[in-house]
Amino acid sequence: MSDDPGQGRRGARAFTPDFLTELFRNPLDPGYADAAAQRARTGRPARSGWSVGPVGLVVIVLLGFLFAVAYRQTMAEEPGRAQARSGLVAQIKQRQGETDALSTRAEELREEVNRQREAALGGSHAARLRELEASTGLGRVRGDGVVVELADGPSGQDSLSGGGAGPAQVIYLDLQSVANDLWGAGAEAIAINGQRLTSTSTIRSAGQAILVDFRPVTGPYEVSAIGPGGMRKRYEASYSALTMRKVAQVNGLSFAVRDADDLTLPAAPEPRLRYAEPAVSPSVSSSGGDESSGSGTSPSPSGGGR
Amino acid sequence: MIAVLALLAGVLLGLWLDPTVPAALQPYLPIAVVAALDAVFGGVRAKLDRIFDDKQFVVSFISNVLVAALIVYLGDQLGVGGQLSTGVVVVLGVRIFGNVAAIRRHLFRA
Repeated sequence: MSDDPGQGRRGARAFTPDFLTELFRNPLDPGYADAAAQRARTGRPARSGWSVGPVGLVVIVLLGFLFAVAYRQTMAEEPGRAQARSGLVAQIKQRQGETDALSTRAEELREEVNRQREAALGGSHAARLRELEASTGLGRVRGDGVVVELADGPSGQDSLSGGGAGPAQVIYLDLQSVANDLWGAGAEAIAINGQRLTSTSTIRSAGQAILVDFRPVTGPYEVSAIGPGGMRKRYEASYSALTMRKVAQVNGLSFAVRDADDLTLPAAPEPRLRYAEPAVSPSVSSSGGDESSGSGTSPSPSGGGR
Repeated sequence: MIAVLALLAGVLLGLWLDPTVPAALQPYLPIAVVAALDAVFGGVRAKLDRIFDDKQFVVSFISNVLVAALIVYLGDQLGVGGQLSTGVVVVLGVRIFGNVAAIRRHLFRA
């Protein structure tokens, strides 16, 4: 293009601020017009038809080549992307399976440990240990009790019921209050969808999901509780039962309480114990007066209390 | 006619040879294709305007591809490769649209 004969004209055409307008209005390379003008001046006839010179032919072949290569490249990349995705999905599935297998194994090992311990301890110690484990949620328990069932209402209901009634969905607060009131009604062990609650369990929401002890649970929710005979009556009179009945009436989600015989609640996963560690601070020497009380309250790493 | 045959020959050659594009050149391939398309539509329009010029076509094709690749390369070095290639695609896209509209006017008188 540098040896273009239209140099004089082009030099005069500076890039005005209107460059974009120019671009939109006249997208053709001005070189074509220049070449045509020069041809008209010299009297050389324009080529007729679609014939092009040898160089043009080479360029067109090159063009087709480029298109084909780009097409091939894109096609080759496509399965790669799909593969990466399905690979990730497969990895997730595999890891989930591994986690399940490992937790099953942990369960087995824990049972084994329990059996060995009972054999070693024997007598009243073992019985006391079992009792403690049952009440703290570390041991599997069996008994009669109450099952509270909560489920989301049919989707699309919320727009119909409207009126500030809120969506027909069970939220984590509902599960929290149900669990708390079941404890209040005298429950000795509670599990939500087979997830045993302990004194350190959490019921939280993360986005749309409800997490019990950081594991997602999905509806319909089944809160099973083992407890004394009158538990159901006491629970029915509790605040959360009354609230949930009302909410179920208004919002269209389902709520039911029923007696259940011979419930089996699994053990909670082993709690991870966290130890407080004394901060190494220079203030120890300054408060050296009351050493006896200090040693009494300092947490010892062996004080797991299991 | 010969041009179309040449294009077909190029496509077949590309499919038959199936060359592997070096990883370093891969980001420039789509840009090069867009630039080539711009040159092609410019050429077709010039042909319909009866001002087609062989040399002009060759030079515009080569310079289009090279400049587009250069701009993207420069953008990559400066850390704005994505934005610059978007800019290149927008500008070339505008030109392609304009030329295709002119071609349409030629062919259908509309």
